Amino acid sequence: MSLPGVAGATAGASAGAGTLRRAGGGAARFLARGDGLVGFAILLVFVVIAALPDLFVGPLEDVTTATGQPLAPPDFANLFGTDELGRSMLNLTVHAARISMTIGLMATVITIVVGAVVGIVSGFVGGAVDAILMRISDFFLVLPTVVLALILAPVMLDVIGADAELFGIRSTLLVIVVVIGLTSWATTARVIRSQVLSLKERMFVDRARVIGAGPGHIMWRHILPNVVNLIVAQAVLTFAGAVFTETTLAFIGLGDPSAPSWGQILNAAQAAGAPGLGAWWYIAPPAVCVVLVVLSFTLVGNALDDVLNPKSGGRR
Amino acid sequence: MSSRYVVNKLAFAVFTIVATVLLMFILFRMMPGSPDRATKNPNMTQAQQAALREKWGLDKPLFPDQLVSYVGATVTGDLGYSYKYRAQPVTEVIGGALWPTVLLLGLGELIAMVLGLALGAVSGWRRGSPVDRLGNGISLVLYAMPYFVIGMPLIMLFATALHLLPTSGMSTPGAPSDLLTTLGDVGAHLILPLTAVSLGLIGGYSILMRSSIIETRAEDYITTARAKGLRDRRILWTHAFPNALLPMVTWIAISFGYVIAGAITLEIVFNWPGIGTLTVEALDARDYPLLQGIFLLLAISVVVANLIADLVYGLLDPRVRA
Amino acid sequence: MTTGISGRRQWPLPKQAVPGAPLLAVEDLSVRFRMPGGPSVKAVDGVSFGLDDGEALGIAGESGCGKTTTALSLVQLLPGNGRISAGSVKLFGIDLVPKTERQLARYRWREISIVFQGAMNALNPVRRIGEQIAEPIEVRLGQAREASRKRAGELLELVGIPRQRATAYPHELSGGMRQRAMIAMALACDPAIVIGDEPTTALDVMVQAQILKLLEQLRRDLGLSLILITHDLSVIAETCDRTMVMYAGRVAEEGPVRRVFTAPRHPYTAKLLSSFPNIRADRRTLGIIPGQPPDLRTPPPGCRFAPRCSEAMPQCTTEVPPEVRFADGVRVACHLFPPGTPGSLPGTPGRAAGAPRALAGGVS
Repeated sequence: MSLPGVAGATAGASAGAGTLRRAGGGAARFLARGDGLVGFAILLVFVVIAALPDLFVGPLEDVTTATGQPLAPPDFANLFGTDELGRSMLNLTVHAARISMTIGLMATVITIVVGAVVGIVSGFVGGAVDAILMRISDFFLVLPTVVLALILAPVMLDVIGADAELFGIRSTLLVIVVVIGLTSWATTARVIRSQVLSLKERMFVDRARVIGAGPGHIMWRHILPNVVNLIVAQAVLTFAGAVFTETTLAFIGLGDPSAPSWGQILNAAQAAGAPGLGAWWYIAPPAVCVVLVVLSFTLVGNALDDVLNPKSGGRR
Repeated sequence: MSSRYVVNKLAFAVFTIVATVLLMFILFRMMPGSPDRATKNPNMTQAQQAALREKWGLDKPLFPDQLVSYVGATVTGDLGYSYKYRAQPVTEVIGGALWPTVLLLGLGELIAMVLGLALGAVSGWRRGSPVDRLGNGISLVLYAMPYFVIGMPLIMLFATALHLLPTSGMSTPGAPSDLLTTLGDVGAHLILPLTAVSLGLIGGYSILMRSSIIETRAEDYITTARAKGLRDRRILWTHAFPNALLPMVTWIAISFGYVIAGAITLEIVFNWPGIGTLTVEALDARDYPLLQGIFLLLAISVVVANLIADLVYGLLDPRVRA
Repeated sequence: MTTGISGRRQWPLPKQAVPGAPLLAVEDLSVRFRMPGGPSVKAVDGVSFGLDDGEALGIAGESGCGKTTTALSLVQLLPGNGRISAGSVKLFGIDLVPKTERQLARYRWREISIVFQGAMNALNPVRRIGEQIAEPIEVRLGQAREASRKRAGELLELVGIPRQRATAYPHELSGGMRQRAMIAMALACDPAIVIGDEPTTALDVMVQAQILKLLEQLRRDLGLSLILITHDLSVIAETCDRTMVMYAGRVAEEGPVRRVFTAPRHPYTAKLLSSFPNIRADRRTLGIIPGQPPDLRTPPPGCRFAPRCSEAMPQCTTEVPPEVRFADGVRVACHLFPPGTPGSLPGTPGRAAGAPRALAGGVS
């Protein structure tokens, strides 16, 4: 990387402080990064909105409870204007935060669990298992979520039926969650696998194995704690991707009209011809929310990745 | 490029496509009522349906007969008949929508590669400068925007508000059909969707090129180039850029799948008569033969894009070429 | 010519060259590195030395002692967080320190070129070695592409590579060949000074010997002025006229190789030499001096070697030892040799000894 002599000089000089800095934790370094902090602040706002939408704008309006004129521009009654059914855009957008972010969160959990398990097993067990798992992950790496969803989502909906419910969540949303989760774990698996490979070489695994621990125990007790940092950073980045993907899927008509996410609102806006009518207020609120959430999660994720991922150094 | 490298990459491409076909087979046999449904095309006569049942061996066991006939038909390009488009063969329906998408995506990729890679390179080379802050900021925002979110304001600004450009479709109905007018007309319709595709791509390309350049900048051979007393600009474009480009080749291919997804949404916004619009029609009508066909096309394009990227990488990097 | 620049030089001296000035005179050079979240590091602290035309100077010391930083700062090729904080670097009497990046470019490679350690990384992996050698000839000397390609071929032959190999990429060459190509590249503009930054360290012993032989031969045939940076004293013993031993960013001892190596004055030089039981035999047994070099962010006051020195006196830990010059051309910074020691020259100032005068002794 840098020139040998200089690297020697600086490495020698900083050796003493290394331990201290690690002990001080990544928190300080994360806080020192302005972009990550801004992202984090935006996130907090959205999390609060998503947690308590009723508190801010009352219950979700539908055709019967809508009070405004159809497609009215912003005024004092409706600060964000109304949609073609006269519903308040403010009300819709705030409620959509909950739906978009819940889908994103659930999809992220599936993605991360599958990715972490595949990554750890693949890296730790190695051999044929590794080869097969990595081939499969290559497949999912090449065929992106939205393309796979084109075929998976309608089939799954037909199999379980669009109006079914599971744990009180409508099946359309669940299908989106499962499709995103099952198709986007490959990146996480790759990142974690490479970290596990280098961990495996370290002494403590050998020692644990010598005293008779099984591979499951080693993976759970010795490998997992060492990749938790990586998993956190990956989870944040995955969440950004999941919200992005959900928006796209809902926009092309795979969403649930009765549970509007931001993408679903944009789908409705497109169907109502909002761009051609110049109804910018129908488009701007959900669009700005998507961009803000994806952007802030990306910023936080990159900052975390820089701080927590030993391999990423100056990446991105 | 060693033949071993090429064979490896080819093998993976074939593996992916085979896996895709198998996945489709399993999915469509999983559905309730399937596979009968595939043959109960409302636009077909009883005789045609019976012929189809016969052809796909639907009265025979799932494995191996149905699988064999399914794979056989798929390999020979027989993707069945669309429901929505009155029993037209799927290949024909898709063929008609292919070129508008190729035109839009091809030009968009081209523009984005030139501008995005250049922007990222300059941004990374001058890390921390005002150019970098602005360029990287814009790129991050663009990267966070779904393509249709880029497209919608473009329509509202240039078409709805300023009446400068057409809002939808690929040509004006009833316009004179001489070559020059047609080209101009298509060109005018192309400007906005093309701008949206390019902007969407530029963000990602520039962010990754920036980080690639930042990594390359720390390499010893860049110090060598500085020691040679070369101009900064020459070091960037003749020493750093070709090296920083290498990881980008793979990334551009991997992102191709996402680009297709984004393009689908843009075609809806601009009513562009391509694969994206067709996809949504097929989704709405649950036209499964057509969906299958589109999915297969997208899968093959993505796989081929990756294969091409691997081969281009081999050509660009002498270490692989040897 | 009074500057002592031999007739082999084919290019005119820079317009600002001072008549009669030595080839290179470095005075009181200090280099600082900004460190993230901490005090800056003075990697080079008040270093002075000179180089006469046709002379070879070997800079020795443990890794991290500032020898590479010293050499790279001559043409300001420091990493982004490093900068020269004091001192002057005079080439033909022209001070390079205040020059802008653009002005410096004129001196890089045409006047001072560098053979980097580890040619695998120092050569651009995606460009043919012939192109890389021809590039400075074409771009810096303004020669036609054909002529510079031809010259590159000649240079390759000069360093013992068949010119047909010009079309090879770096990874297609062996380590020794790559280092030869790197040397050919350094010679491309016929520079006034060639710096070798650990040019043989990454190579195996047999190849090391070949590369050293090549350097010696080139020096003899071309009259190169050479600055050789190495932690390997035997390399200096074989190749150089004078040596400068550095410790923790400062000069410990400097003088004619034969004087310094046969009768070391500074305890550090002595330790360094004794860690080579036989200078010609085992080349890789450095590092048996007890202790570690100091942390340069908080260097010890006084002599920086004091904590590891077996002859340390109370004043060593409090006072920086002044540089004292001797009649035999050796310069030492050690309290064992205070000003006025028998054999020393009178009137030597503090540790920043006047470099041009220090040069006067020149080749032994």
